Amino acid sequence: MSCPQIQSGRKRNWSKRISLIVIILGIILLCPVHSQAYAGPGAGFAVISSFWTLFVAFLYSVYAFLTWPFRHLFRLLRRRRVPGKAQIKRAVILGFDGMDPVLATRFINEGKLPNLAKLRGRGTFRNLRTTFPAISPVAWSTFMTGVNPGKHNIYDFLARDLSNYLPFLSSAEVRPPKRTLKIGKYTIPLGKPRIRGMRRGTPFWHWLGKAGISCSVIRIPATFPPEKFPGVLLSGMCVPDLKGSQGTFCFCSTRSVGDEFREGGVRVPMERHGSVCRSYIPGPPDPLAGSSGGELRVPFEVRPETNQTRITVGSEKFTLKVGAYSDWIAVKFKGTLGASAHGICRFYLKELSPEVEIYVTPVNIDPGRPDLPISHPVTYSIYLAKLFGPYATLGLAEDTWALNEEVLDDQAFLAQCYANHEDRERMLFDALDKTRHGLCACVFDTTDRVQHMFWRYLEENHPAARKVPRDQRTNVIEDLYCRMDVLVGRVMKQIDEHTLLLVVSDHGFKSFARCVNLNAWLHQNGYLALKSGKSESGDWFEDVDWSHTRAYTMGLNGLYVNVKGREREGIVQSGAGAEALKQELRDKLNGLVDPASGAVGITGMFDCDAIYSGPYVDNAPDLIVGYGEGFRASWDSVMGKVTSEIFEDNLKAWSGDHCIDPRLVPGVLFSNCKIAEEKPGIADVAPTILKLFGLDLPTHFDGKPLTVTIDIAP
Amino acid sequence: MASPTSIHSPSTAVAGILGVESPTVVVVLLSLVISLLMVVVFRYTSDQKAIRVAKDHLKAYLLAVRLFQDQLPVVLSSYGRILISTGRYLRLAFKPLLFVILPLTLLIVQLDRYLGWTPLVPGRAFLVKVRTGNVVILDDVSLLLPPEMAITAPAVHVPADNEVLWRVVAEKEGRYNVTVAAAGQDFSKEVVVSSSRLLRVSSIRLQGRFWERMFTSGEPAIPAKGPIRAVEVKYPSRNIRFAGLEWNWIWLFFVLSLVAGFFFKTVLKIEI
Repeated sequence: MSCPQIQSGRKRNWSKRISLIVIILGIILLCPVHSQAYAGPGAGFAVISSFWTLFVAFLYSVYAFLTWPFRHLFRLLRRRRVPGKAQIKRAVILGFDGMDPVLATRFINEGKLPNLAKLRGRGTFRNLRTTFPAISPVAWSTFMTGVNPGKHNIYDFLARDLSNYLPFLSSAEVRPPKRTLKIGKYTIPLGKPRIRGMRRGTPFWHWLGKAGISCSVIRIPATFPPEKFPGVLLSGMCVPDLKGSQGTFCFCSTRSVGDEFREGGVRVPMERHGSVCRSYIPGPPDPLAGSSGGELRVPFEVRPETNQTRITVGSEKFTLKVGAYSDWIAVKFKGTLGASAHGICRFYLKELSPEVEIYVTPVNIDPGRPDLPISHPVTYSIYLAKLFGPYATLGLAEDTWALNEEVLDDQAFLAQCYANHEDRERMLFDALDKTRHGLCACVFDTTDRVQHMFWRYLEENHPAARKVPRDQRTNVIEDLYCRMDVLVGRVMKQIDEHTLLLVVSDHGFKSFARCVNLNAWLHQNGYLALKSGKSESGDWFEDVDWSHTRAYTMGLNGLYVNVKGREREGIVQSGAGAEALKQELRDKLNGLVDPASGAVGITGMFDCDAIYSGPYVDNAPDLIVGYGEGFRASWDSVMGKVTSEIFEDNLKAWSGDHCIDPRLVPGVLFSNCKIAEEKPGIADVAPTILKLFGLDLPTHFDGKPLTVTIDIAP
Repeated sequence: MASPTSIHSPSTAVAGILGVESPTVVVVLLSLVISLLMVVVFRYTSDQKAIRVAKDHLKAYLLAVRLFQDQLPVVLSSYGRILISTGRYLRLAFKPLLFVILPLTLLIVQLDRYLGWTPLVPGRAFLVKVRTGNVVILDDVSLLLPPEMAITAPAVHVPADNEVLWRVVAEKEGRYNVTVAAAGQDFSKEVVVSSSRLLRVSSIRLQGRFWERMFTSGEPAIPAKGPIRAVEVKYPSRNIRFAGLEWNWIWLFFVLSLVAGFFFKTVLKIEI
């Protein structure tokens, strides 16, 4: 008998045996008497939980089915209040944060973006006027509310505290519970943390929701804390990490030396114990420690092997190779008296030998078990986590600081960006599937982050790319635009002829090659005084003599007059005195030239009294600084530091920016419909959508509805 | 007819094995031990990741029904997905069952001998039922008892079922054999009389019928060619008092092992 025959015979024998076993087990299962019908807790759990699931699902379904006619009728009755007839069945808005019209045009003309080219050809492609300043939380707030910043109260990422000149996050404030119980060394919180949103104005999806129109809103910036409305929303930019910061990575190393990171990260020592290395992830303050401020930590253990390492974090064990990320790992920070906080993070093995170095992403709020609300309803973030697995929840999820600090290299940063991007795509397509009628809006941050970090490769002589040989400068931004184009194509395939598609960006992009320290200029020109004997100041105006300071700057574009009676130590008389100073500063700064190149560093100085209107203008800066192309506020100036140099090269990977003269960085507006207006603005999107769904426009809107011809291109 | 044997042999009593005589304690201990074993077996024979994903999907679709309840197509499609996911989850959860069903079934069958019935009590009447192959020989069937037992009423014939019944009472504790004589052949059946709480009893002796014998009888088969099909002794079924309720042992085992399983799966972080 030949070998194949033997094998064939063995296979037959095995199949007979398996069949026999299956038959026997089948008989046992089919012919049980009462006492043998149970086979352990596993089977019991499976049966009970399956039954329970089906039972609950059945109840829900019956409820939904029986009440649907009434709810539908109720919606129809409510929609009777909608005065006009809806011109569209569905609106899909893709927000590509920072997509630049100049680059988009260039790549379209080169034939690299066929889907956006199709929209441009058959529908619309326009520059989209952005806000003053052209900063994401400002522009997206205007996008959603249809009003200028004077009515929504967001002027920058940061705002200043008039009582101490220190910054605070402008969009949201997370504070400990109001009441606490102090027992010995413990401070027991009585209640939940207080989260206060500081963006004002009503997002247009609230109006849609109230009119019975379904809305799915995903990761639009400045939506934290999530507001209640009839629809689902996942918060975007401004969601903090578990430490309460806007993203603090952790770099664990067995190397004993290393400078502290300027911002965005902490170094944590990793100690060797024989063949094992031990370190920890720093977490939030212990809620029970009160003001004494004990930090919660999650320890982890690293066991290096030949080409990889085994990492143990709590009950999670996984292996990592050099240059690879882990999946999202759930971490639990245990506090005293049973208090705990749940987060997720990813590990990246940077080096295994001779030293061990591990980068850990900022600890994101666990979307499947959120300790702070990050969605409305709260269950929406849980739903997405159960459906797709854990995902980044941090507002600025792509760790630009880690690349700036050279903790991550280009490839590691891109891997992180595109992993988040893919999660976002899955969420978008699920929302498209769930929202057949109504609004589906989703913002992708990848466009912004990647352009910030890789603009240096677009230019021949960008200071931040000098170290990188020309043949190693990759086409990252071109690849990014191609990816976004593919996404647009996939969305176009999903939508029908009754769906309006808008591709919107909040601003464009330009190079950031030169830093301008405006505080240094103010100091050298006698507007900002330093304490006696000081020629420079530390962060946040540490050495500033406020009693002799007339103007200062902090944040990205705001310039402030030190007004008497407003600032704690203000010296400039409000009214005519402040107006005269503002005019003087405008005259001197507008057209400020960089002596190194002769280029204009500031192309516009904008008086906020003229550009803003609304109830919150008092919170605005006094002037908005419009930097010229290639310039931006220096890293030090943003942090209220006074240096001796006004202009300097930007050597960081963060090499592109948009916080410049807003006239230089319009966003994009693509549509599958014809839009008549030649110069639409980002404030026009909200009124346009409301009008297309047949709703009345609130009178406080600053934007105007665009003239859209609903003749959807196939 | 045979003399009674010792009924306190440790080799035949669970009490002897576990060192306890309380059925409640036995069931509680068994539930704990078996649930721990089963949970561990489940851990190593199941695809934990796939089970976690399947359960997460189930929860997601349930949430979808709630989140998008105003959109009937979404609700209905979610319901369909719930059914599909439930099937997937059951398939994944029942794969480990294949590894444990045989040993566990055999174990439960054996335990049922000890915990399903209580032994007969001296002085209290019980029934002995004989089923024959045909109605013709019903009148020829007789019951022979050891001296410690007596028939308390005339035999009752049930021709429709080919059965004869006797009411019998035992005077003393012991493990006896009663003998049924028919067509010149004798067939014995074990009878256990004891006040002890945990003893192995077999309520029926059967001819042929392998699977029924495996699950219900603890005695050798009646010879195949004989006229007697079954000899049955009606033992009282056992109820266990636990938490203020009377339980059949299997239900108590079911509940306790579920609770213990839940505890162990949580402690050992096992996905079920």
